[in-house]
Amino acid sequence: MNFALSEEQEFFKKTIADTVDRMIVPKAQEIDEKDEFPWDLWKEFTGLGYIGLRYPEEIGGMNADKVMCMIFYEEVARGSVGFAQSVIMNILMGTYFIFRFGSEAIKERCLYPAMRGEKVATMCFTEDQSGSDLGSTRTTAVKDGDGWRINGTKMWITNGPVCDFCTVLATNDPSKGLKGLNFFLVEKGTPGFSSGQVLNKLGCRGTVTGELVFDDVWVPDENFLGTELGKGVVYVGDILDEVRLMTGAMALGIARGAYAEALEFARKRMAFGQYIGNFQLIREKFAEMDTLMNAARLMVYYGAWLLEENKDCRVLAAEAKMYATEVCLKVVDELTRIYGANAFAYEYSPQRYFRDARFLLYGGGTHEVLRDFIGRSLIGKL
Amino acid sequence: MNIIVFIKQVADTEARIIIKNDQKSLEIENKYNMNFFDEFAMEAAIKTKEKFKDSKITACTYGPKRSIEALRTAIAMGADQAFLIDNTNLESDDSLIVAKILSAFARKEGFDLILCGRQAIDDENANVGVMVAEMLGIPHASSVTAFEVVDSRMVRADNEIEGGIESIEVQLPALFTTQKGVNTPRVPLITGVMKAMKAVIPTIDPTTLGLSNEDIDLNSSGIETISLEPPQQRPPVKMIDGETTEDKVRNLVKALKEEAKVL
Repeated sequence: MNFALSEEQEFFKKTIADTVDRMIVPKAQEIDEKDEFPWDLWKEFTGLGYIGLRYPEEIGGMNADKVMCMIFYEEVARGSVGFAQSVIMNILMGTYFIFRFGSEAIKERCLYPAMRGEKVATMCFTEDQSGSDLGSTRTTAVKDGDGWRINGTKMWITNGPVCDFCTVLATNDPSKGLKGLNFFLVEKGTPGFSSGQVLNKLGCRGTVTGELVFDDVWVPDENFLGTELGKGVVYVGDILDEVRLMTGAMALGIARGAYAEALEFARKRMAFGQYIGNFQLIREKFAEMDTLMNAARLMVYYGAWLLEENKDCRVLAAEAKMYATEVCLKVVDELTRIYGANAFAYEYSPQRYFRDARFLLYGGGTHEVLRDFIGRSLIGKL
Repeated sequence: MNIIVFIKQVADTEARIIIKNDQKSLEIENKYNMNFFDEFAMEAAIKTKEKFKDSKITACTYGPKRSIEALRTAIAMGADQAFLIDNTNLESDDSLIVAKILSAFARKEGFDLILCGRQAIDDENANVGVMVAEMLGIPHASSVTAFEVVDSRMVRADNEIEGGIESIEVQLPALFTTQKGVNTPRVPLITGVMKAMKAVIPTIDPTTLGLSNEDIDLNSSGIETISLEPPQQRPPVKMIDGETTEDKVRNLVKALKEEAKVL
């Protein structure tokens, strides 16, 4: 067994950590307070080329392995989860289907500009009545001449209000449930495509999230992203493990940021004539946090290794997402206890970690859905 | 133009550093970075290469094997090649010996311009760069706050002097040490990071640079560390109480007079 990062991966981790410390960490509090898409930081950061992280070098990407991808997701989320969510949407879900199925013309129009940070991408799954339950998708795509006519409303869309293009999930036959699902590309400016309500969220602020409306939107056949009708849910399955591990890595990032704040505070805060880090009940919290974070880290990175080796990791990816997020919730809670009353004030950062951590409960599957999936997978069909 | 940038890997400013029981050596948390001032030297070299496209930037350090990480950072920023001069089991702290080794490397490698940070933020000696220039017999300017290679023969630079700025022109070949303010070091692009990850960084045995083992071994230094002491703890911050602003100012003045005795 070898758990060590390679020298190259270590260097990548240090480089991205330094970049996050310089560019993102100093702006994290401001991003949260303003709750606006941070265009200046977006241009500065995406200009470095990281949006192409997963894609081949031939098209300007980095061809990073899955472990490096997790390192990136963890580090950026450590800086600001509000910013990380926008960036990662462009790196992973927002461009995945276009890279895989898009024509060269579509890639020229959407993928390559997105990799340079010149266009903002997103993916639309969720509706007001369906999230994890994709089979209940009500947005429809009906064949119309040389294209498709799309009708429906998507909700909780990361980058939605500022996106230049989106990959939208729609059914061409609602009676088929999951087997009627397909993906289509819709670009900004297409008649009938508009942004609706912008959500005022508890955490993950700075990522603008909202509603996208498809009102009789017609797109050409070229915008159908797939090789066969009705295979949308299969394509989702191909990326789902990576999305879940990515969410786990983000949870680790938030937890590490919160832990670092707690550690710094425990080392400098005096009470009863000594540093509070000298008290056993405070030490116990650090022992607990570090143990949990190490366990979560092993799960997330083991999952990344399995993914890179093309080995089955469906159950582990779900477990890693769930466990790392629960660990994150525990760590941010302990931060607010160690920090005392100031953790309850908006002027200090603990409350931001506390709010941000809640966001990860939902993306990649709620923990109720995941627990059921894991149990069902382990017991098997009876 | 051949540009050499001498860098040093130093402990991160947030790394925990403990003086060992022998009171002469340190236990340092495994967090290291390229020296803060060396980043300005790297940036000055890259800007020069942007102006004179046929330039070659060589980053070099005399340090332990872990220093390769700092050299990779130099490549990610824009260095064309990098060399580690391995200091394992050799004198590593004495500035005179470090300067002998670096100047021997420069002589062997060839150069038109040498850049390095004004000082390393760990030992704060601030004399290796200047010593290297002296040993090579070339002009040097320290702590430059502005730097521009005018042509292949001349550099225009500013350095801070008491109460003002001195502007100078220096004939090449020459050595410059860089100070904060000279530029803003760039964050590496992904293409640079990829290049750095794949780069093969040769390790040089310093005895191949024309120096004898006796010149650089652990007994070669004329300086011996007697003891290390931690900095004095700063007294805790005192909050000045008072009902009104006037009360607070009155109490502050009283404290400055009676407790701090500075008024």
